[in-house]
Amino acid sequence: MSFDVESLSSETVVVHMGEALDFRNADSFKSTFQAHVEDGVRNFILDFSETEVLDSTGLGSIFSLYREISPDDGKVAFADVSRPVQVVVQLTRTYKVFRQFPSVQAAKEALA
Amino acid sequence: MAEHAILIVEDDSTVRELLKYRLGKHYEVFTATNGEEALQEIDDRIPDLIISDIMMPKMDGFALQSALQADKNTRVIPFIFLTARADEPARQEGARTGVDDYITKPFDMEQLLSRVERLLERVEMFQTQLDAEIGRDFSNRLLPDNVPSVEGYEFYFHSEAHEQGGGDLFDWSETDEGTYFLTIGDVMGKGLRAKFYAYSFLSYVRGTLHTLLQESSSPAAVMEHINDMLLEDEVLEDTFASFLLMHWDPAAHTVTYANAGHCRPVLLTENGPEIVEHSDLILGLEADASFSDATLSLAPNTALVAYTDGLMELPTTNGNMLGEDGVLEATATAYGSANPIDTLHETALEHSSEDSFQDDLLVVWLQRAK
Repeated sequence: MSFDVESLSSETVVVHMGEALDFRNADSFKSTFQAHVEDGVRNFILDFSETEVLDSTGLGSIFSLYREISPDDGKVAFADVSRPVQVVVQLTRTYKVFRQFPSVQAAKEALA
Repeated sequence: MAEHAILIVEDDSTVRELLKYRLGKHYEVFTATNGEEALQEIDDRIPDLIISDIMMPKMDGFALQSALQADKNTRVIPFIFLTARADEPARQEGARTGVDDYITKPFDMEQLLSRVERLLERVEMFQTQLDAEIGRDFSNRLLPDNVPSVEGYEFYFHSEAHEQGGGDLFDWSETDEGTYFLTIGDVMGKGLRAKFYAYSFLSYVRGTLHTLLQESSSPAAVMEHINDMLLEDEVLEDTFASFLLMHWDPAAHTVTYANAGHCRPVLLTENGPEIVEHSDLILGLEADASFSDATLSLAPNTALVAYTDGLMELPTTNGNMLGEDGVLEATATAYGSANPIDTLHETALEHSSEDSFQDDLLVVWLQRAK
């Protein structure tokens, strides 16, 4: 499964995360963001509007993204976070690291 | 399971395209027209199986097979010779170390397909068995043989390692002052990789605890060290872990803990269950993350239950996960029963769409006597 990526500028993309990010497609997410990081993308808006499942392997792949771009002041923003994703973010206290926005639009405006 | 990749090495374009077409329905197929090209392809990507002609320009099948045998990375790739040379000397030369099958042209496609399938199945079976064996070994090493035995307290521990599970760990040690350090963690990821990292990680934590306890008994201080290690150590790069570190003082009836993004424990008293809320960021994400301690006091008959995400992520019949609310309810039901962990386990599974846990499950139940 591949991820739907929308390019906003040379530095910023929106990734539509789809229904699930878990141990089955975490590697696919990694290769998706890897290609964009190599192209110079530094800001990733992750659209979680449809996401029903986010397991620890999936969350780990987002952490890998963060670890990779944070030394270059890159940002990972969570947009339109669904209830199941919200639960994971709360438990792991990762809202301290990933800014959250009520909609993809709001994230776009903030990161533009 | 990723699709198997098969390399076809054949100079005759008709045979090559036919094989590519038929095998391509079941496998990912790439091709080379001679031994030299094949070695270049293998350099880019190791196939799961090779089917090679013998007579080819530049580098023939025998030379290719010898080259693969000479390299430890390619020696074990299943190898099938497919050739028109049906004569006995060629067959004898083909039947050598590292050649799994020898099929002569004209060949029966169905027969070739079934041989390919059988070979791939066998390789996979070995791999799965080996993984399961190593996985069990790691799981056993990640867990203690016994639990603390303290007057006035009951201590229950349950663990179920699942092959597809992750890197759950539990460890405890007693200090000179008669207090205990309990370590519960979950290294993110699945399968052997997570178990390997959990194992490396636990070795480090054991070492760190021993050193740090000379200076301080603060779980948060230990947590900061572990977090630094995860961010600095190259082997553990890209490893993240949730961690709950508890310092239990049975004489004072207190538990001082730091929680790095781990499932929040449940405190059970006669007034009902409550979530132990205080926690900080998960480990391995941010270099300057700070951690802090919180202290619980354990009144008579109070139980403290810590667990890993296998319990919370248990799929329920309504399509959701058991969740923190489900865990609260299940622990409340188990509170007061003769073997609370068994009851908790049964209660959780009653809500589940499965009849067993599909992930690692680890529960620690610490209870002060009445």
